[in-house]
Amino acid sequence: MKKVVFSIGVFMILCSFNTDSSNQIPPGEKLVYAGSYNMSGLMTQLAQVTLSTEMVNTSNKSYLHLNCELATFAKWDKFFKIRDTYEAYVNPTTLKPSLYKRNIEEGGWTKKEKYVFKGNSVTSTSKRKNCPETTKTFTIGNSTQDVVSLMYRIRTLDFDKIKTVQSQSFVIVFDETQIPVTIKLLGTETIPAGNLGSKKCYKLSIGAKTDVLKGKDKNLIYLTADSKKIPVLMKFSIPVGTGQLALTSATGI
Amino acid sequence: MRKIVVIVAVVLTLISILFSILPLDTLALAPIGLALLFIFLAFKKSDVKQRKFTKLLFIITYICALYVLGKTYLIKDKVTVDTKFEQEKVDSKKEDLKDLEGLE
Repeated sequence: MKKVVFSIGVFMILCSFNTDSSNQIPPGEKLVYAGSYNMSGLMTQLAQVTLSTEMVNTSNKSYLHLNCELATFAKWDKFFKIRDTYEAYVNPTTLKPSLYKRNIEEGGWTKKEKYVFKGNSVTSTSKRKNCPETTKTFTIGNSTQDVVSLMYRIRTLDFDKIKTVQSQSFVIVFDETQIPVTIKLLGTETIPAGNLGSKKCYKLSIGAKTDVLKGKDKNLIYLTADSKKIPVLMKFSIPVGTGQLALTSATGI
Repeated sequence: MRKIVVIVAVVLTLISILFSILPLDTLALAPIGLALLFIFLAFKKSDVKQRKFTKLLFIITYICALYVLGKTYLIKDKVTVDTKFEQEKVDSKKEDLKDLEGLE
Protein backbone atom coordinates (compact mmCIF):
# COMPACT_ATOMS: atom_id res chain seq x y z
CA MET A 1 0.00 0.00 0.00
CA LYS A 2 2.87 2.36 0.82
CA LYS A 3 4.32 1.72 -2.64
CA VAL A 4 0.98 2.64 -4.18
CA VAL A 5 0.78 5.88 -2.23
CA PHE A 6 4.43 6.70 -2.87
CA SER A 7 4.05 6.04 -6.58
CA ILE A 8 1.00 8.31 -6.73
CA GLY A 9 3.12 11.01 -5.14
CA VAL A 10 6.10 10.42 -7.39
CA PHE A 11 3.89 10.00 -10.42
CA MET A 12 2.48 13.44 -9.89
CA ILE A 13 5.99 14.81 -10.26
CA LEU A 14 6.29 16.48 -13.57
CA CYS A 15 8.80 18.76 -15.08
CA SER A 16 9.11 21.49 -17.65
CA PHE A 17 10.00 22.21 -21.20
CA ASN A 18 9.49 25.95 -21.76
CA THR A 19 7.00 27.65 -19.53
CA ASP A 20 4.21 29.80 -20.89
CA SER A 21 4.14 32.75 -18.52
CA SER A 22 0.68 33.82 -19.72
CA ASN A 23 -0.73 30.66 -18.19
CA GLN A 24 -0.92 31.18 -14.42
CA ILE A 25 -2.29 28.73 -11.86
CA PRO A 26 -5.44 30.29 -10.38
CA PRO A 27 -5.95 30.47 -6.60
CA GLY A 28 -9.18 28.88 -5.39
CA GLU A 29 -8.94 25.96 -7.78
CA LYS A 30 -10.05 22.56 -6.48
CA LEU A 31 -9.58 19.30 -8.37
CA VAL A 32 -10.93 16.06 -6.92
CA TYR A 33 -9.81 12.64 -8.14
CA ALA A 34 -10.81 9.06 -7.46
CA GLY A 35 -7.71 6.97 -6.90
CA SER A 36 -8.09 3.37 -8.08
CA TYR A 37 -5.88 0.32 -7.97
CA ASN A 38 -6.16 -2.80 -10.09
CA MET A 39 -7.33 -5.63 -7.83
CA SER A 40 -8.31 -8.99 -9.31
CA GLY A 41 -8.42 -7.41 -12.77
CA LEU A 42 -10.87 -4.67 -11.78
CA MET A 43 -10.05 -1.05 -11.00
CA THR A 44 -11.06 -0.62 -7.36
CA GLN A 45 -11.50 2.85 -5.90
CA LEU A 46 -9.33 3.21 -2.80
CA ALA A 47 -8.89 6.88 -2.08
CA GLN A 48 -9.81 10.44 -2.89
CA VAL A 49 -7.07 12.81 -3.97
CA THR A 50 -7.75 16.54 -3.73
CA LEU A 51 -5.56 19.20 -5.29
CA SER A 52 -6.32 22.76 -4.20
CA THR A 53 -4.75 26.17 -4.46
CA GLU A 54 -5.10 29.33 -2.40
CA MET A 55 -3.25 32.61 -1.98
CA VAL A 56 -1.68 33.27 1.43
CA ASN A 57 -0.12 36.51 2.59
CA THR A 58 2.65 37.18 5.05
CA SER A 59 3.59 40.71 6.17
CA ASN A 60 5.81 41.22 3.09
CA LYS A 61 4.94 38.65 0.45
CA SER A 62 2.18 36.65 -1.16
CA TYR A 63 2.54 32.92 -1.75
CA LEU A 64 0.47 30.45 -3.70
CA HIS A 65 -0.32 27.54 -1.41
CA LEU A 66 -0.50 24.29 -3.37
CA ASN A 67 -2.11 21.50 -1.44
CA CYS A 68 -2.43 17.81 -2.32
CA GLU A 69 -4.43 15.59 0.01
CA LEU A 70 -4.91 11.85 -0.17
CA ALA A 71 -7.58 10.19 1.99
CA THR A 72 -8.84 6.63 1.82
CA PHE A 73 -12.57 6.11 1.36
CA ALA A 74 -14.53 5.30 4.53
CA LYS A 75 -14.81 1.58 3.75
CA TRP A 76 -11.01 1.24 3.71
CA ASP A 77 -10.33 3.31 6.84
CA LYS A 78 -10.69 0.36 9.25
CA PHE A 79 -8.51 -1.78 7.02
CA PHE A 80 -5.75 0.71 6.15
CA LYS A 81 -6.43 4.38 6.86
CA ILE A 82 -4.43 6.94 4.90
CA ARG A 83 -4.37 10.69 5.43
CA ASP A 84 -1.48 12.17 3.50
CA THR A 85 -0.82 15.78 2.65
CA TYR A 86 1.77 17.24 0.30
CA GLU A 87 2.03 21.03 0.38
CA ALA A 88 4.14 23.71 -1.22
CA TYR A 89 4.25 27.47 -0.78
CA VAL A 90 5.47 28.94 -4.04
CA ASN A 91 6.01 32.21 -5.83
CA PRO A 92 2.65 32.80 -7.63
CA THR A 93 4.42 33.77 -10.88
CA THR A 94 7.46 31.52 -11.14
CA LEU A 95 6.11 28.63 -9.01
CA LYS A 96 9.53 28.43 -7.34
CA PRO A 97 9.07 26.83 -3.92
CA SER A 98 9.95 28.43 -0.59
CA LEU A 99 8.49 25.74 1.65
CA TYR A 100 7.51 22.14 1.00
CA LYS A 101 5.83 19.86 3.51
CA ARG A 102 4.86 16.22 3.49
CA ASN A 103 2.73 14.73 6.22
CA ILE A 104 2.17 10.99 5.97
CA GLU A 105 -0.29 8.94 8.03
CA GLU A 106 -0.63 5.45 6.64
CA GLY A 107 -2.07 2.59 8.69
CA GLY A 108 -0.64 3.96 11.94
CA TRP A 109 2.76 4.78 10.44
CA THR A 110 3.62 8.48 10.35
CA LYS A 111 6.26 10.65 8.76
CA LYS A 112 6.60 14.41 8.66
CA GLU A 113 8.96 16.24 6.35
CA LYS A 114 9.61 19.92 5.89
CA TYR A 115 11.92 21.43 3.27
CA VAL A 116 12.90 25.08 3.46
CA PHE A 117 14.31 26.39 0.16
CA LYS A 118 16.92 29.18 0.22
CA GLY A 119 18.47 29.64 -3.20
CA ASN A 120 20.28 26.41 -4.08
CA SER A 121 20.23 25.20 -0.50
CA VAL A 122 17.55 23.08 1.13
CA THR A 123 17.20 22.50 4.86
CA SER A 124 15.10 19.45 5.50
CA THR A 125 13.56 18.30 8.76
CA SER A 126 12.27 14.76 8.94
CA LYS A 127 10.43 12.95 11.73
CA ARG A 128 9.31 9.34 11.54
CA LYS A 129 7.14 7.57 14.08
CA ASN A 130 9.19 6.44 17.11
CA CYS A 131 12.36 7.98 15.66
CA PRO A 132 14.18 11.18 16.62
CA GLU A 133 13.86 14.22 14.37
CA THR A 134 16.67 14.65 11.86
CA THR A 135 17.82 17.81 10.11
CA LYS A 136 19.89 17.92 6.96
CA THR A 137 21.11 20.67 4.66
CA PHE A 138 21.97 19.87 1.06
CA THR A 139 22.52 21.64 -2.25
CA ILE A 140 20.18 21.32 -5.21
CA GLY A 141 20.36 22.39 -8.84
CA ASN A 142 18.87 25.65 -10.13
CA SER A 143 15.85 23.95 -11.71
CA THR A 144 15.24 21.38 -8.95
CA GLN A 145 11.82 21.73 -7.38
CA ASP A 146 9.62 19.83 -5.00
CA VAL A 147 7.00 17.33 -6.15
CA VAL A 148 3.96 19.52 -5.71
CA SER A 149 5.21 22.69 -7.38
CA LEU A 150 6.50 20.71 -10.36
CA MET A 151 3.13 19.08 -10.74
CA TYR A 152 1.63 22.53 -11.20
CA ARG A 153 4.53 23.87 -13.24
CA ILE A 154 3.80 21.44 -16.05
CA ARG A 155 0.44 23.13 -16.49
CA THR A 156 2.15 26.36 -17.43
CA LEU A 157 4.00 24.74 -20.34
CA ASP A 158 3.22 25.60 -23.93
CA PHE A 159 2.60 22.20 -25.50
CA ASP A 160 1.90 23.68 -28.91
CA LYS A 161 5.64 24.35 -29.14
CA ILE A 162 6.62 20.85 -28.07
CA LYS A 163 7.04 18.11 -30.66
CA THR A 164 5.52 14.67 -30.15
CA VAL A 165 7.93 12.11 -28.63
CA GLN A 166 10.26 14.94 -27.63
CA SER A 167 11.53 14.32 -24.12
CA GLN A 168 13.61 16.20 -21.62
CA SER A 169 15.29 15.32 -18.33
CA PHE A 170 14.77 17.11 -15.03
CA VAL A 171 15.44 16.66 -11.35
CA ILE A 172 13.09 16.66 -8.40
CA VAL A 173 13.84 16.50 -4.70
CA PHE A 174 12.03 13.75 -2.82
CA ASP A 175 12.90 11.90 0.39
CA GLU A 176 15.96 14.17 0.71
CA THR A 177 17.24 12.80 -2.58
CA GLN A 178 17.40 14.35 -6.03
CA ILE A 179 15.63 12.12 -8.57
CA PRO A 180 16.00 12.58 -12.35
CA VAL A 181 12.65 12.64 -14.16
CA THR A 182 11.83 12.68 -17.87
CA ILE A 183 8.62 13.72 -19.56
CA LYS A 184 7.57 12.93 -23.12
CA LEU A 185 4.63 14.22 -25.14
CA LEU A 186 2.98 11.23 -26.86
CA GLY A 187 0.14 13.04 -28.66
CA THR A 188 -3.50 13.85 -27.94
CA GLU A 189 -6.51 11.75 -26.92
CA THR A 190 -10.12 12.44 -25.89
CA ILE A 191 -10.70 11.47 -22.25
CA PRO A 192 -13.75 11.66 -19.88
CA ALA A 193 -13.04 14.50 -17.43
CA GLY A 194 -15.60 14.29 -14.60
CA ASN A 195 -17.91 17.31 -14.47
CA LEU A 196 -16.07 18.84 -17.46
CA GLY A 197 -17.39 16.18 -19.85
CA SER A 198 -15.10 14.65 -22.47
CA LYS A 199 -11.99 16.65 -23.23
CA LYS A 200 -9.25 16.51 -25.82
CA CYS A 201 -6.07 15.97 -23.81
CA TYR A 202 -2.32 16.03 -24.16
CA LYS A 203 -0.94 12.57 -23.41
CA LEU A 204 2.36 12.67 -21.53
CA SER A 205 4.64 9.84 -20.48
CA ILE A 206 6.57 10.12 -17.23
CA GLY A 207 9.84 8.38 -16.50
CA ALA A 208 11.79 8.56 -13.25
CA LYS A 209 15.12 7.01 -12.30
CA THR A 210 13.58 5.12 -9.42
CA ASP A 211 12.39 1.55 -8.84
CA VAL A 212 8.91 2.81 -8.04
CA LEU A 213 7.74 3.38 -11.62
CA LYS A 214 7.72 0.44 -14.03
CA GLY A 215 7.47 -0.06 -17.80
CA LYS A 216 8.04 2.17 -20.81
CA ASP A 217 5.28 4.72 -21.49
CA LYS A 218 3.05 3.03 -18.90
CA ASN A 219 3.05 5.98 -16.52
CA LEU A 220 0.85 8.54 -18.19
CA ILE A 221 -0.78 11.85 -17.47
CA TYR A 222 -3.49 13.49 -19.54
CA LEU A 223 -3.85 17.29 -19.45
CA THR A 224 -6.73 19.07 -21.15
CA ALA A 225 -5.54 20.51 -24.44
CA ASP A 226 -6.73 24.02 -23.62
CA SER A 227 -5.33 27.01 -21.75
CA LYS A 228 -6.23 25.53 -18.32
CA LYS A 229 -4.36 22.23 -18.82
CA ILE A 230 -6.30 20.42 -16.11
CA PRO A 231 -4.89 16.97 -15.28
CA VAL A 232 -7.86 14.68 -15.94
CA LEU A 233 -6.31 11.23 -15.78
CA MET A 234 -3.07 9.83 -14.40
CA LYS A 235 -2.15 6.19 -14.92
CA PHE A 236 0.69 4.54 -13.08
CA SER A 237 2.45 1.22 -13.29
CA ILE A 238 4.49 0.03 -10.32
CA PRO A 239 6.17 -3.31 -9.47
CA VAL A 240 3.10 -4.49 -7.51
CA GLY A 241 0.43 -3.50 -10.03
CA THR A 242 -1.29 -0.68 -11.87
CA GLY A 243 -3.65 2.12 -10.90
CA GLN A 244 -5.04 5.47 -11.88
CA LEU A 245 -6.31 8.83 -10.68
CA ALA A 246 -9.41 9.97 -12.54
CA LEU A 247 -10.84 13.48 -12.25
CA THR A 248 -14.31 13.51 -10.70
CA SER A 249 -14.79 17.21 -10.01
CA ALA A 250 -13.10 20.46 -11.01
CA THR A 251 -14.15 23.79 -9.48
CA GLY A 252 -12.69 27.29 -9.41
CA ILE A 253 -10.76 26.71 -12.64
CA MET B 1 -9.87 -37.24 -7.21
CA ARG B 2 -13.46 -35.99 -6.96
CA LYS B 3 -13.11 -35.76 -3.18
CA ILE B 4 -10.04 -33.53 -3.44
CA VAL B 5 -11.70 -31.23 -5.97
CA VAL B 6 -14.84 -30.96 -3.80
CA ILE B 7 -12.73 -30.19 -0.68
CA VAL B 8 -10.82 -27.45 -2.55
CA ALA B 9 -14.12 -26.04 -3.88
CA VAL B 10 -15.57 -25.96 -0.34
CA VAL B 11 -12.46 -24.25 1.09
CA LEU B 12 -12.46 -21.67 -1.71
CA THR B 13 -16.19 -21.04 -1.21
CA LEU B 14 -15.58 -20.39 2.50
CA ILE B 15 -12.71 -17.99 1.63
CA SER B 16 -15.02 -16.30 -0.89
CA ILE B 17 -17.64 -15.73 1.82
CA LEU B 18 -14.99 -14.36 4.19
CA PHE B 19 -13.47 -12.04 1.57
CA SER B 20 -16.93 -10.82 0.55
CA ILE B 21 -17.80 -9.84 4.12
CA LEU B 22 -14.47 -8.15 4.81
CA PRO B 23 -13.84 -4.73 3.18
CA LEU B 24 -11.60 -6.25 0.52
CA ASP B 25 -13.68 -5.02 -2.39
CA THR B 26 -12.88 -6.67 -5.73
CA LEU B 27 -10.00 -8.60 -4.19
CA ALA B 28 -12.76 -11.04 -3.17
CA LEU B 29 -13.27 -11.86 -6.86
CA ALA B 30 -9.97 -13.80 -6.89
CA PRO B 31 -11.15 -16.62 -4.54
CA ILE B 32 -14.65 -16.39 -6.08
CA GLY B 33 -13.21 -17.03 -9.55
CA LEU B 34 -11.13 -19.95 -8.32
CA ALA B 35 -14.09 -21.33 -6.35
CA LEU B 36 -16.28 -21.25 -9.47
CA LEU B 37 -13.56 -23.10 -11.42
CA PHE B 38 -13.25 -25.88 -8.83
CA ILE B 39 -17.02 -26.07 -8.41
CA PHE B 40 -17.29 -26.59 -12.18
CA LEU B 41 -14.62 -29.33 -12.03
CA ALA B 42 -16.37 -30.95 -9.08
CA PHE B 43 -19.67 -30.77 -10.97
CA LYS B 44 -18.12 -32.47 -14.02
CA LYS B 45 -16.58 -35.24 -11.90
CA SER B 46 -19.81 -35.92 -10.01
CA ASP B 47 -22.58 -38.35 -10.92
CA VAL B 48 -26.02 -36.89 -11.51
CA LYS B 49 -27.04 -37.89 -7.93
CA GLN B 50 -23.97 -36.21 -6.41
CA ARG B 51 -24.44 -32.85 -8.12
CA LYS B 52 -26.82 -31.35 -5.53
CA PHE B 53 -23.95 -30.29 -3.25
CA THR B 54 -21.89 -28.68 -6.03
CA LYS B 55 -25.01 -26.79 -7.16
CA LEU B 56 -25.37 -25.43 -3.60
CA LEU B 57 -21.71 -24.32 -3.60
CA PHE B 58 -22.30 -22.64 -6.96
CA ILE B 59 -25.33 -20.70 -5.66
CA ILE B 60 -23.40 -19.51 -2.56
CA THR B 61 -20.39 -18.39 -4.63
CA TYR B 62 -22.65 -16.75 -7.22
CA ILE B 63 -24.37 -14.74 -4.44
CA CYS B 64 -20.93 -13.72 -3.12
CA ALA B 65 -19.96 -12.47 -6.60
CA LEU B 66 -23.21 -10.49 -6.92
CA TYR B 67 -22.72 -9.02 -3.44
CA VAL B 68 -19.14 -7.92 -4.17
CA LEU B 69 -20.01 -6.41 -7.56
CA GLY B 70 -23.09 -4.73 -6.04
CA LYS B 71 -20.96 -3.15 -3.32
CA THR B 72 -18.41 -2.02 -5.91
CA TYR B 73 -20.79 -0.42 -8.39
CA LEU B 74 -23.86 0.61 -6.38
CA ILE B 75 -22.44 2.00 -3.12
CA LYS B 76 -20.95 5.48 -3.56
CA ASP B 77 -17.49 5.96 -2.09
CA LYS B 78 -17.04 8.80 0.35
CA VAL B 79 -14.34 10.11 2.67
CA THR B 80 -15.14 10.38 6.37
CA VAL B 81 -14.76 13.88 7.82
CA ASP B 82 -11.80 13.53 10.17
CA THR B 83 -11.94 16.36 12.72
CA LYS B 84 -8.47 15.57 14.10
CA PHE B 85 -7.00 15.70 10.61
CA GLU B 86 -8.82 18.97 9.83
CA GLN B 87 -7.55 20.57 13.07
CA GLU B 88 -4.00 19.42 12.28
CA LYS B 89 -4.26 21.17 8.91
CA VAL B 90 -5.33 24.44 10.55
CA ASP B 91 -2.48 24.25 13.09
CA SER B 92 0.00 23.32 10.37
CA LYS B 93 -0.98 26.33 8.28
CA LYS B 94 -0.38 28.70 11.20
CA GLU B 95 3.08 27.15 11.65
CA ASP B 96 3.79 27.46 7.90
CA LEU B 97 3.04 31.19 7.96
CA LYS B 98 5.51 31.62 10.82
CA ASP B 99 8.14 29.70 8.80
CA LEU B 100 7.50 31.86 5.75
CA GLU B 101 7.77 35.06 7.84
CA GLY B 102 11.10 33.74 9.13
CA LEU B 103 12.36 33.24 5.57
CA GLU B 104 11.87 36.90 4.60
